[in-house]
Amino acid sequence: MSVAQQPSSSAIPTSAPESAAPEEDIVLEVQDLHVYFYTQIGVVRALNGVSFKIPRGKVLGIVGESGCGKSQTSLATMQLIPRPGKVESGKILFREFNNQEPIDLLTLERNSDEMRNIRGDNISMIFQEPMTSLNPCYTVGDQIKEAIILHQGVDKEEAHTRAVDILRKVGMPNPERIAISYPHQLSGGMRQRAMIAMALSCTPTLLIADEPTTALDVTTEAQILELMRDLQREIGMSIMFITHNLGVVAQMCDEVAVMYLGRIVEWASVDDIFYNPKHPYTILLLRSIPRLGSEEHIRLESIKGSVPDPYTRVPGCPFHPRCPSFMPGLCDVEEPPETTVDGNARHTVRCHLYT
Amino acid sequence: MASVPTTAPESAGKKKKVEDVGQIPQWKLMVRRFRQSRLSVAGGIVLICMYIIVILAEFIAPNDYQKIEADYQYARPSEITFAAGWPGIYAQQAILDKENFTWTVETDYSTVYPINFFVEGHSYKILGLFESNIHLFGVQAPAKLYFWGADGQGRDIFARVLKGGQVSMSVGLVGVTMVIVLGSIIGTASGYFGGMIDNLMQRTIELIQSFPTLPLWLALAAALPREMPVVQRYFFITLVLALVDWTGLARQVRGKVMAYRSADYTAAALAAGGSHLRIILTHMLPNALSHIIVVAALAIPGVILGETALSFLGLGMLPPAVSWGVLLRDAQQVQVIMLYPWMLTPGIAVVLAVLCFNLLADGLRDAVDPYG
Amino acid sequence: MVNFLIRRLFYMLVTLFFVSIIGFALIELPPGSYLDSELQRLRQLGGNLSQSQIRSLEIRYGVNDPTYLKYWKWVSGAVRGDFGESFEYKKPVGELIWGRLLFSVTLAFSSLIFAWLVSIPLGVYAATHRYTIPDYLITAMQFIGVAVPQFLLALVLMVFATTVLKQEVGGLVSQRFVNAPMSWEKFWDFVSHLWIPIIVISAGSTAWLTRVMRANLLDVLNMQYIQTARAKGLKEGVVIWKHAVRNAIHPLVMAIGGVLPALISGEVIASIVLNLPTTGPLLVQALIKQDMYLAITMVMFLSIMLIVGNLIADLLLAWVDPRVRLE
Repeated sequence: MSVAQQPSSSAIPTSAPESAAPEEDIVLEVQDLHVYFYTQIGVVRALNGVSFKIPRGKVLGIVGESGCGKSQTSLATMQLIPRPGKVESGKILFREFNNQEPIDLLTLERNSDEMRNIRGDNISMIFQEPMTSLNPCYTVGDQIKEAIILHQGVDKEEAHTRAVDILRKVGMPNPERIAISYPHQLSGGMRQRAMIAMALSCTPTLLIADEPTTALDVTTEAQILELMRDLQREIGMSIMFITHNLGVVAQMCDEVAVMYLGRIVEWASVDDIFYNPKHPYTILLLRSIPRLGSEEHIRLESIKGSVPDPYTRVPGCPFHPRCPSFMPGLCDVEEPPETTVDGNARHTVRCHLYT
Repeated sequence: MASVPTTAPESAGKKKKVEDVGQIPQWKLMVRRFRQSRLSVAGGIVLICMYIIVILAEFIAPNDYQKIEADYQYARPSEITFAAGWPGIYAQQAILDKENFTWTVETDYSTVYPINFFVEGHSYKILGLFESNIHLFGVQAPAKLYFWGADGQGRDIFARVLKGGQVSMSVGLVGVTMVIVLGSIIGTASGYFGGMIDNLMQRTIELIQSFPTLPLWLALAAALPREMPVVQRYFFITLVLALVDWTGLARQVRGKVMAYRSADYTAAALAAGGSHLRIILTHMLPNALSHIIVVAALAIPGVILGETALSFLGLGMLPPAVSWGVLLRDAQQVQVIMLYPWMLTPGIAVVLAVLCFNLLADGLRDAVDPYG
Repeated sequence: MVNFLIRRLFYMLVTLFFVSIIGFALIELPPGSYLDSELQRLRQLGGNLSQSQIRSLEIRYGVNDPTYLKYWKWVSGAVRGDFGESFEYKKPVGELIWGRLLFSVTLAFSSLIFAWLVSIPLGVYAATHRYTIPDYLITAMQFIGVAVPQFLLALVLMVFATTVLKQEVGGLVSQRFVNAPMSWEKFWDFVSHLWIPIIVISAGSTAWLTRVMRANLLDVLNMQYIQTARAKGLKEGVVIWKHAVRNAIHPLVMAIGGVLPALISGEVIASIVLNLPTTGPLLVQALIKQDMYLAITMVMFLSIMLIVGNLIADLLLAWVDPRVRLE
């Protein structure tokens, strides 16, 4: 069991606490990640000290409104933060195998061979827009083969066989034909399957899925989620699943991190998030989803206000301007530290209500 | 606009700016965006200066642009000296080379002739209206002030470039006016009425675009009788340039009008009994105006370059009229340029004018349509 | 695909038919005819010509025929490859222009290739190094490239070649090779003469294409599939050249249609200034002297060059972009 983290946003204990169980096998550990964008109008602090862990074979859901930094977290892990963004500080520790000495991805040069070998081979990624995430000028098969040839060093024919195999695995009807099709000949759901095939072609240790089903219709979404879940169990990979849809979280994830304005405000198992939410933001998020079986004619609640202007820095707790339990003099002055809930080391929250 | 009730005070200033974006009129936004591109503003300012100088050509130039001075053939640009504490020049004089029996122009360094301001000289009329004989500056005889040297007949190139600019720089504006008139009428009709008219117009445009530009200009210009009076020829040459250039604008306007045609307010205006003409004039043209201006501004450099090329080839303006192209015709031989490089000064004027128009048009386009 | 080609070819013939009518009408437009200047010349040479002499000349040149008859004579000959006779050179038009046309096509085509070869790397460099000094320099060069009239550039380059490179300029080969048989030396001499016209003709187009390339690549680099390619672990060079440039080329191919008229116009004017044996100088002379069959034939061929060029651009587009190809 992991220990509660220090109540400071900047210092993460590097020495393993005595209570850390040896069997805890963490694939990815992000520590106090800061990502800033230096634009002409000002500095946008996209991530302000994000820390989380993904255990091997588990699915971590990262939830939050648009603009809270979910996607930047995933891009930072891949070292693909677009300009003018920059990782200011933090560590991203990655262990390909259990008990291996972790590699801090941020110490690797962005375009170095080591980083590129991890990208697409050990960590791969699926994007939100299946319509635009495949290159329109090359066939689906060619794009999958590209990764296989690059990372597995096989010849073209072998790569083609493997590409067709993986296309079959993601449930494509007639994979031989799909392999020689161009992306514009496929539907959105098929393209997303092709993307998943590409991401899984090198059996990654960690899959980052950035809102993979947002652009799909509900039936296709269900199929894709089921496919991902099945493949995850089969390959035994970990998934960082980014979404704003709590329904999807319930279906997919083992653990959930709720993000607000570049910080993780609550982290817990999926059951704790749904049945024992602590942070006012999490509570409000949960109230804003419609439920079956709830009383009729009850209005869905929405969270008042919206995410503040990204150029400004909100003092104290970033959520205080919108928080129903706002305590003047405390919340707008002091940033709440990370605290464990009810002594459960696997449930942490950042809110003055629980300090 | 998002509004957050209690964000930090530092965001207040920004909020105010964001709010007023929604309130100020469209054209003010465009002006604001235009002023942000400094190069375009600079281009615009240089152009305004050039137009003023060109309009006042006779006042600013010390010499008559037509006066032939046999003694000053290919005279060098006058050397400006500050030897007397005041800008002045040395006189040049033609000397007979007794070995080769050729005349050369040499500078006499013995006396400095100071440059004086507001001196009397030959009479002229500005814009054909105001008669005067005062010139911005000049020197006393026997010295002659040749800022940019003289041509093969001893005519002052400075005066000729300024005078030539009257043709070359106005051709752009007049030509583009014709382009706007032709392009908007045809484009609007084509887009508004559609059907047969549209089809006919589109095929015509495609046909015109099937001719390479310059050969078409050449063929059209060659059809003009060579004995035409200068003003008439000026008008027809401009028309020739416009006749080839309007197609692009017509297509743009057509596209815009077709989009407006399907807009609800057009249907509403039709239902309210508005006539076609009224709908076009009050609803469509004002909307398309900014685009028309941008396309027109982008077309000006082409028209200026077209006139210059035609005149250079001897099919545009013809001497004794002067334009930059006509002047550059004297610099056709490499030998001439190597011996008398100042003969190329009209070329610098062309490049400067076209460059500034391009910069200006670029800024205008970004201001009207930042993503286009 | 075959259907598309047949439709385009048919459409091309119809366009050419109308082009020929308009071109012919244009060239017939000026008052007087070649005969007037010819008569003037004959009078200066040998006193008066009798009415019957003039009459016989008029019949020989067919100047008093109505325009449609002249057009019919020319066009019915033209489809059989007989373009009439040049008044001035007293030779069949075909004989006069074939060689020159070949040079014109070669020049325009080489200039297009040159413009591409220069503008693609420049555009890619500018887009991938946005807001750096080389990017600003490339942008500045674009503005100047568009602003300099081609004849002026030709003059300046000629002066440069003569004074700095001590090279003989003008024409396609040096004087001493004009009548020499083809040899490696002559070929090399030809190539060393070619660079000035190619730069002159392609300068404006290169500037324009660089601009198009830079803007397109910037758009493409924001596309999701570029992130996908990077996420695969591809080298940045592969991401740019294989994934981004391939997609940014597409508008560049479409831009050929816009560049071709400029290239053909440039070829005409550069040839006049540089005194190259291409269609340019001949066309201007023919237009001024009202040598109508020569003029109309050349205008026709320049239009054919443009129309065929556009057709090739369309085919190229289908080849480059699978979305167009498979529709």
